[in-house]
Amino acid sequence: MTVGVVSTFAAAACGTPTGPEGGTPGGQNALPGVEEYLNAPCPEVGTKPTTDKELIYWSMWTADEPQGKVMQKAIKCFTEKTGVKVDVQWQGRKGYTQNLVPALNTDNVPDLFDQDVSKVSAAVMQPGGTQSVDDVFTMKVGEGEKTVKEVLDPTSYDFPQNKDAAGANFMVPYLLQSSAWWYNKDKLKDFQPPKTTAEMIAAFDKAKADGGGVGPVAQDGDIPFYNMYFFTQIAERFVGAGGLYQAATDKTGQAWKSEPGYLKAAEETAKIPAYFIDGWDAAKFPQVQQRWADGEASFLYVGSWAPSETREYLGKQGGGAAINYGSFQFPMPEGATKDTIEQMSIGFSVTKKAKHPEAAKAFSAYMLNKDILNGITAVADNLVPRTDLPVPDDLKDLKASFDDPKKEKVLQYDGLDGIAGGKWATEVFDPLNLELLKGNINPQQFVDGLATKSADFWKSQG
Amino acid sequence: MSVLTPPPVRGASAPRTGGAQGEHLKRKRRLFWPFMIPTVALYSIFLVLPTIATVYYGFTTWAGAGDDPNFVGFDQYVALWNNDSFQFSFRNTLIYVFVGGVGTFLLAFLFTMVLRDMKGGKLVRAILFFPNIVAPVALGMFLGFVFKYQPGKQGLANFFLESLGATSAKFLDPANVTWVVTASIMWASSGFYITILMAAVDRIPPYLYEDAEMAGASPWQKFRNVTLPLTWDVVGVAGVLWTINALKIFELVFVLAGPGTYSPPNSAWTLGIFVFDRSFGSNGTPDFGAASACAVAMIVLVSVLVVMLRRLMRRDAIQF
Repeated sequence: MTVGVVSTFAAAACGTPTGPEGGTPGGQNALPGVEEYLNAPCPEVGTKPTTDKELIYWSMWTADEPQGKVMQKAIKCFTEKTGVKVDVQWQGRKGYTQNLVPALNTDNVPDLFDQDVSKVSAAVMQPGGTQSVDDVFTMKVGEGEKTVKEVLDPTSYDFPQNKDAAGANFMVPYLLQSSAWWYNKDKLKDFQPPKTTAEMIAAFDKAKADGGGVGPVAQDGDIPFYNMYFFTQIAERFVGAGGLYQAATDKTGQAWKSEPGYLKAAEETAKIPAYFIDGWDAAKFPQVQQRWADGEASFLYVGSWAPSETREYLGKQGGGAAINYGSFQFPMPEGATKDTIEQMSIGFSVTKKAKHPEAAKAFSAYMLNKDILNGITAVADNLVPRTDLPVPDDLKDLKASFDDPKKEKVLQYDGLDGIAGGKWATEVFDPLNLELLKGNINPQQFVDGLATKSADFWKSQG
Repeated sequence: MSVLTPPPVRGASAPRTGGAQGEHLKRKRRLFWPFMIPTVALYSIFLVLPTIATVYYGFTTWAGAGDDPNFVGFDQYVALWNNDSFQFSFRNTLIYVFVGGVGTFLLAFLFTMVLRDMKGGKLVRAILFFPNIVAPVALGMFLGFVFKYQPGKQGLANFFLESLGATSAKFLDPANVTWVVTASIMWASSGFYITILMAAVDRIPPYLYEDAEMAGASPWQKFRNVTLPLTWDVVGVAGVLWTINALKIFELVFVLAGPGTYSPPNSAWTLGIFVFDRSFGSNGTPDFGAASACAVAMIVLVSVLVVMLRRLMRRDAIQF
């Protein structure tokens, strides 16, 4: 009963790639091109399944949120072009743990499901629930001879965290997330993205002075992994991709102390909370994010879903308020050498016990057809793993940083949130991080705490 | 367990009594198992076996995703004991049981003292019961707005504080949220216990109160010397009900202390949230071994508390 109630909330609430579900943003906050996309004719299917006549898909979206609408269009077109009947269940974000994982003990599993690569890895791939999707990469997407491999940006799938025990890919991406500092270009007219931490702090000071002393940084402090951004973003610039992951999985915990970058990152992190909006530590998501959308704070650090979530909020609020979305990445702190940008791939995986793997894989390839995938940008206002599709206006700055060849791609939080099924973060990182942000411990205590708590954690894990 | 044995039927072993009554008893005996079997079967399938399975899984590590449980003995319990999240959960749950319990029953007694001879007492009773008909999740979402902290746009609680000239409080700060939830639970559940206690109070013959009144007893003396002794067994049962309910508090904390989608910071957890987090993982692999071990700890805890409470409340029943 409890579980049912909570899962309803899990599906309805946000802190998610796309935020509040349901309802089309209205007025100025409606995206152009939504109707056009939904009414466009269906593109051809490049690789048609030869035997499967059915496909069972458990979706991480709900039917009426923007991504759900794009999926509905993809499903409708796939059925129209191949005759394969798609049996879809709109399970929402928690469907993979609450429905899929228990189902793996039975033979009653979906053929196809989607989630971000870290979650699929931790919950489904590691216990052996997925199969290789390597053959999808050679399938045609329905644009002449073009294959999946040719249209996809390799950094979106070809990384160690997307390989199963046999070294095969277990996920085909169709949506990319990243994170950034967000601001309203119409409000901060002459604002130039800071190049150094000192410039960033100066920008905060200026915004604070302009705002009559109100904290210029909005932060929903009740979500532990929103609090995780600051330290991980800065630390990644000292240690590069895989560094944090390595430190966190060090059984002795000493890596936190032997690499001086972590202390420096903690020191830089400790400078930011002074600019947090009053009430960030007694927040109830998404109240503080909405305060940012209402113009109470100038900056907000959150994922690439910020525009779609706040657009929806402003649309429902009415009153004609709109944001001209600008974003920038954390500047390089002094002494840091790795210029990084975070990414998270969301995509399709096929279960090991799938009864219709052929159809599941064909659908995964069809999703990447430009006329289908375009909906993820045009309707859902998200980034896609193809470089040749138009970028939503809201995400232009982010996309530019993303395509910057100087920047090294790092998995979101460097994968810290998925270590030991998420328990490492819950037990070790989150409590210490909250204390650091609240100013209850200093950077040295934070790093020492990471070392000892992490060692204790791994000891208890046996 | 005694239910499982057929009731001793008078005369069953002595067929010589014979007659209509003997036939009736024979038929009754014949019906015993047809009625009993479905109950035993359903009870076993949906309660006894899952409980045994939970105890078993508490001795394993198991992701529950198509893999096999791996027997590890008491490791899960040792890990549980050393785990910060479990310690927070344990502490908070005890706060809810004891502090919340004392508060709820004080409120309930206070109301029973005044409601008995208050005009419109029945209506007040109904109103006090209202929070019980609202789902705890909805209550949690609602209280999230009541306890909102936003200078200039405060929630109801801070609005009142500010109107009274006091400074506003960060109710939902993880450091404070346990106390806020304790107060909310007292507010939400006292109506239920008032209803139970008042039902017992209504059974007390009015002449006892009239007598006490004539002797010049104060409301407190009436409560102490008439109400409490004559409702003692009901108070005991209500105490047991409270203990069981408080031990499994989940939804209200989950939605009030966190975003409602993901687990709140672990310093605000209850044992129920611990089990949920380990079952459905904050970000991935479920850990059914740890979840089951914690569930077993909850069963043990509730058993110990209930036995203690029953012993503490044991008195000779007063006939009236």
